Amino acid sequence: MIEQLTTQQRKVAYLIGIVILMVPVIWLGMPSSDASTGGKLAGLRQQYELGEATLGKVDPTSATMNLVLLGMRGVAVNLLRMELDEQKDRKQWAQMRATTESVILLQPHYIQVWRYLGWNLAYNVSAEWDAVEDRYFWVKEGAKFLMQGTKRNVKHPEVYWETGRTVGQKIGRADEWKHFRKYFKYEDPDKERFGGGPDNEINPEGIDNYLAARVWYQKANEAEEKHVQHIMMRALFRSYPARSSLDYAEALQKEGQFDDQTRQAWAVAFDDWVNNFGKMEFADDYGAEHFQIRMEAYDSDVQEIAKQFGVDPKLIRKSIDFHQDVTNYRFWRIRAHSEMQEQTVDVHRNLYDGEQRMRKGSADDIDQAEIMLVKGLNGYAELIKKYPDIGSDDNAIEECLWAILLWQKIFQLKNGVQPDADRFPFPLREIWEKEQNRIPNLQQDFNRKYGPS
Amino acid sequence: MTFDRDPFSFIDGFQHWLKVFGSFAGGIFAITVLLALGVFGAAGPVAVINRVFAGLNDFLNLSPRRIWAIALLTIKEAVRRKALLVFVVFAFLMMFAGWFLESNLRADLQVKNAVSFALTTVSWLTIPVLLLLSCWGIPEDIRLRSMHTVVTKPVRRNEIVMGRILGFSTVAALIVVIMGVVGYVWIRRQVSGADLICRVPVYGTLKFLDREGNPTDKGVNTGDIWEFRSYVEGGTKSAALYDFPVGQIRDRIKIESRFEAFRTHKGRMGESLQVRYVLVNPTKQLRVPLKSFEVAEFALNEHLLENEVKYFDEGKQETRTVNLLTDLVDDNRLRIEVQCLDSGQYLGMARPDMFLRLPDRSFLVGYFKAVLGVWLLTVFVVSVGVMASTFVKGPVAALLTFTILIVGQAFREFMIKLVTGEQKGGGPLESWYRLITHKNDSTELEKATSTAIMQGIDEVMLSVLGVVQYLIPDLSSFMMSPYVANGFDVPWSVALARSLAMTVGYVIPCVLIGYYSLTLRELESK
Repeated sequence: MIEQLTTQQRKVAYLIGIVILMVPVIWLGMPSSDASTGGKLAGLRQQYELGEATLGKVDPTSATMNLVLLGMRGVAVNLLRMELDEQKDRKQWAQMRATTESVILLQPHYIQVWRYLGWNLAYNVSAEWDAVEDRYFWVKEGAKFLMQGTKRNVKHPEVYWETGRTVGQKIGRADEWKHFRKYFKYEDPDKERFGGGPDNEINPEGIDNYLAARVWYQKANEAEEKHVQHIMMRALFRSYPARSSLDYAEALQKEGQFDDQTRQAWAVAFDDWVNNFGKMEFADDYGAEHFQIRMEAYDSDVQEIAKQFGVDPKLIRKSIDFHQDVTNYRFWRIRAHSEMQEQTVDVHRNLYDGEQRMRKGSADDIDQAEIMLVKGLNGYAELIKKYPDIGSDDNAIEECLWAILLWQKIFQLKNGVQPDADRFPFPLREIWEKEQNRIPNLQQDFNRKYGPS
Repeated sequence: MTFDRDPFSFIDGFQHWLKVFGSFAGGIFAITVLLALGVFGAAGPVAVINRVFAGLNDFLNLSPRRIWAIALLTIKEAVRRKALLVFVVFAFLMMFAGWFLESNLRADLQVKNAVSFALTTVSWLTIPVLLLLSCWGIPEDIRLRSMHTVVTKPVRRNEIVMGRILGFSTVAALIVVIMGVVGYVWIRRQVSGADLICRVPVYGTLKFLDREGNPTDKGVNTGDIWEFRSYVEGGTKSAALYDFPVGQIRDRIKIESRFEAFRTHKGRMGESLQVRYVLVNPTKQLRVPLKSFEVAEFALNEHLLENEVKYFDEGKQETRTVNLLTDLVDDNRLRIEVQCLDSGQYLGMARPDMFLRLPDRSFLVGYFKAVLGVWLLTVFVVSVGVMASTFVKGPVAALLTFTILIVGQAFREFMIKLVTGEQKGGGPLESWYRLITHKNDSTELEKATSTAIMQGIDEVMLSVLGVVQYLIPDLSSFMMSPYVANGFDVPWSVALARSLAMTVGYVIPCVLIGYYSLTLRELESK
């Protein structure tokens, strides 16, 4: 039949066919707008949050690149990743950074890519450099890269968490932590660019790195309420904002700050740990029994939860114990509580100041140092009696052992012999005897710092 | 990027070229004569020899006017085929590139990115366009029969080939120059002029002393994947010995180095490794230790040696002064011993990591040398493309030229490893067999007839590749942008001379092959 039509008629027929076929296409694919939900596909995209815009900030360059490459994105990414590895091996850092950006243009919503490349910059590349300033630069590059990732992937808690980890732990726990924390909070090494202040891109408010990390962990928790994270057990994941508060208080102490600000930091951390994290609810199950627990639960709370979910209270207690063990909840609760006491601050101050006085080296300083150390050790003994769990904390044990080593050194300086523990009993002797296996390593560090006894 | 290449020698290069060219030309001539003898009897070889002489005659009677006329037509054709639209793409890239380049990087890294981007854009836009134009030109002329109107005129076919190469090379020059100028202006707008430098380095030779002070060729390997640098151990007699020629230097000497630190312990936090230079005159047994300094890793350690050098003589416990050029330079060479002073730490270096710096050239000079490199590569591509288009059709010629370009730039090392047997896993069949049977490249294959057959076929294919490797050049020397991007001048002997010689060395056989192919080709056959 179609052969009988003239060319013009055929063209009209095709046109009509096209128009007819366009109707379902438009109905299916019409984009959404403020006024309407759009076509069927747009509706589904919105319903299942599959649209580019729902994932995070849309980058037109990235979208264009993916469009231009058609189906060859995987191949292009493979080539770029090979190039990136080659550049890393050959220490072509600037080119490697540029290639990292190109990879991410092609895979803006691949969470593992953001995590891996962010880690690569902050941990692997920074370790390749010798100067502390250069290492810090690359740690910042990693953190900034991850921050960029959070903007592109607002739904995913993992990238927020990774940013928090870089800002918190990488800066706060690296070997160079003293320098890094100072750079982050007060004075970026690039004075020319940041005018002697912190890098405003990564720390616009000029706050402590652990407090900045807390903000990122908090964002991770907010995202996690809507979307499941795939990094670790939920209770652990959600403990990070409060852990950051604890880390902050601990860091102030490590830096030798024993004042109201530190006590206040411990008080805030305690509140964060007990009242925020401790009261979060976590789902658990035991066979067919489903229930929700929280860490901060006394016997009456356990009974109440058991009643609410109709399960055996023993099951609830078991689940709470398990969660508390995993997150080390009880220890941190006690630690924060003890550290916010005036007496604890005095203990740390005495031990810290004792060491500083000893380093000055005059006879008077040595005498004063001995008095402070003994006072501090006695205080520690009382503290451990009051909070026995503190006695099993690695940091506390090492702080005590270190103070004993200092005391022994002073004794040797004054008397020319090593102290005999039976004739000259010193405080916390039981810890010294119990923790003998830790002493060789500590002694080595001590000798490196103060010379052999 | 390593700048550690041997200087190019025109004499050695010419001898090598003569050998390869002579053997291929001789081989092809012998095969042709034998084939002609077999097919046409005694008249065959005579015809071949006559053809060769006719060719010689054509080359002796070349007319520059006719070549230029063909070149002009080629330029017109290129313009008609919208080749210049490439400027639109270039303009777009240049307008928006700044948005996508990291601007928060350190100044030298910004320079690296900006210069690499500008020069890469120039080459990536120019080469594909010229590749396609040169490969499609002659086949299209033959298809449209416009070639008939040319060959019936008193134009020799070698003039057609040469005119085409000249025409396309002129178009390439025009594009490259305009893009180069725009790229230069763009770079100047992206980074501060003070950061755009063009060092002129003088490299020396490098040897090492081990921890007992014995001479050795290499230092310690600290486990780096990239074995470019060798390390000296700190706090021992281990040292690196650099010997520099100082013939061009008349007064003070500027030394620059970029060393890499490797720590086995954290050391003093916040301080980099301590490095010391010792100037040594082995003949006079004179050792002049300079003041130690903290190494600036992946950045520059700069030192200026004045003609009078003061140092503390530890043996005599006194400060002494020596003359740099008369006391320390020995036989026109200056020896500098590099030591790492921190015990348990290592300092890594390669030959190009330390050099004497002559007065800088203008960045413009270095930049346009790199642009010249892009143009030379385009001329190479055009020559190969025009040659290929004389005996195959456009798409095949483009594929052939593209393959030579890609292999020459990126896979030549791999090809040589295959040919020399250094690459594990065997030839194409064996590696395919290993892939599908999940055998890694070091697993012994079972001794069977099938394995022998497979390896035999591979052997034949690899020996063909062994011949082909001489035809495919190492095009990496054309890539001069890394020199400029890293703040160095493009050296004449290492990069420019090599690229220039290579271009000329390929244009000559391309013209010859193109001429004979076009002469022997039946133009009526589309």
